Amino acid sequence: MPSRAPLSKPVHKLRIVVVNTITAAGHEMDASLQAQAQRGAALRIGLLEAGYDIIASLPADIYLPERIAQLQPDMIIIDAESDARDVLEHIVIATRDERRPIVMFTEDAATSSMDAAMAAGVSAYIVAGLQAERIQPVLNVALARFKQEQKLLAELSDTKHKLAERKVIERAKGLLMAHHHLSEEQAYQRLRSMAMNKKLKLAEIAQRILDVEDLLGN
Amino acid sequence: MADNMSAWVAGSDRPEKQVVRIGFLPLSDCGSLIMASLLGFDEKFGIKIALSKEASWASVRDKLGNGELDAAHVLYGLMYGVQMGIGSQARDMAVLMNLNHNGQAVTLSSSLAQQGAVDGASLAGVIRKAPRPYTFAHTFPTGTHAMYLHYWLAAHGIDPLREVRMVTVPPPQMVDNLRAGRMDGYCVGEPWGMKAVHDAIGVTAATTQEIWPDHPGKVLGTTADFVAHYPNTCRALIAAVLEAGRWLDASMENKQKMLETISQPHYVKTRQVWEEQHGLQFYNSGAVNFPYLSDGMWFMTQHRRWGLLKDDPDYLAVASKVNRIKLYRQAAEMTATPLPPGVLRSSTLIDGVVWDGSAPERYAASFAIRK
Repeated sequence: MPSRAPLSKPVHKLRIVVVNTITAAGHEMDASLQAQAQRGAALRIGLLEAGYDIIASLPADIYLPERIAQLQPDMIIIDAESDARDVLEHIVIATRDERRPIVMFTEDAATSSMDAAMAAGVSAYIVAGLQAERIQPVLNVALARFKQEQKLLAELSDTKHKLAERKVIERAKGLLMAHHHLSEEQAYQRLRSMAMNKKLKLAEIAQRILDVEDLLGN
Repeated sequence: MADNMSAWVAGSDRPEKQVVRIGFLPLSDCGSLIMASLLGFDEKFGIKIALSKEASWASVRDKLGNGELDAAHVLYGLMYGVQMGIGSQARDMAVLMNLNHNGQAVTLSSSLAQQGAVDGASLAGVIRKAPRPYTFAHTFPTGTHAMYLHYWLAAHGIDPLREVRMVTVPPPQMVDNLRAGRMDGYCVGEPWGMKAVHDAIGVTAATTQEIWPDHPGKVLGTTADFVAHYPNTCRALIAAVLEAGRWLDASMENKQKMLETISQPHYVKTRQVWEEQHGLQFYNSGAVNFPYLSDGMWFMTQHRRWGLLKDDPDYLAVASKVNRIKLYRQAAEMTATPLPPGVLRSSTLIDGVVWDGSAPERYAASFAIRK
């Protein structure tokens, strides 16, 4: 048997939460639940062997959203065939402005399903039976991918925000021009000096002007 | 009749893909789909339905996306959630037909019932008198049950976003969670409402047809991509399910047979009787199945109402793209299923408000309780 390559340390100490399949006592487990539970156990061992920090192994119950909010993990890992996927979906939508990477694990090695899940917002796929030393690169890629995606989203929302600010400034300028019979340039200068006097951003002072206009209902 | 059918099957309308892999979740309203497969209505139209039992709606969504499933028994609202990119990357989806009307319910815990909360109005009273974080469950954030539960609470003056805690729970776990006192009520498809009543841990506070008489439910859903590649297969699939629905409507015996069939472990796994299905309908001379644009638009208006959609979409344009009326009409003709005169229908919901598909932006913004 070839000797195992030494495990390099994870670049960043990821705080991982693994979501477990609920196997309620007193209920006979069907084969798929049993397989899920076994996959889950194997995965946890693999993660620990690879030096990862599983900060919690949580049941997929109705307290999952609160627990995840408390723990603020860097990554959530769940079985692709678990019915708890929908519970996690709740978290994805409730926290869609502060997303975190979700990694699935599965027995299904079909690359097509990985691509689709990743397109749907999953950061990576771990195929069951994967060697411990292979988990680390998969998770590193997942995190890098997620960060890249978040950066793009942030840039997009920044651009949208700037566009919205420009609109507010334009409307405030229009109001000043109408009320005080100013030219566009004069209106802009008036806005700028008001902003400087009040130590506000141009868009903030513009918004105040619009709010006052709204209030007075002119 | 038989000659007509073989003409459809043999001509240029021959299904491009003969074996169709269809996902379903174990709920009573998958009945017509399962019977279409088991009774051979599929083969009559040149296809074979391969059923695949799924564990979650999220997984149904992903598998439709990656082609592991060709089509699925899926929540109407989920289809529009994916179309609009709520919680996942946006993808062009297709609603081939509506599968059922009614057959879902809002259940409240027995302990709430003992405090007097047995319907919407009395629930509002109890919540006002004894405020605490009341917990209610639905099955998927953008889904049908979430939207009906939100609507029902709001119609009784209870703000579902601010006054109660809303959670997502897989249908088969609803009863256990209610029994353990972890939640106060839920909205789900049968048999999971009546199970709580039989186990004496809950009461039916409202059936979903009290919220919206003959409301849309699950749809036969796929991706726009699949329809583009396999239009004939899609048409055959709609036709097969229409015939199965007609067979179900034909007699009580047929309905009981369907329930017995889907009660088996590899389907829904719970014994059921027809009288307890809360007005569940699969066909009703096709009135159930037409993919009305107003039905599709309604889910988007509610997504907008509750802040799942941050802006108003072009409601009519999106619904016209997603709901495949042309394919449905052809399948209806193949099966001699009556067609309605228009693509919109008018409904009066529990709060007395009429929804007829007109002025969707105004409708979405008109509710006092909203995000």
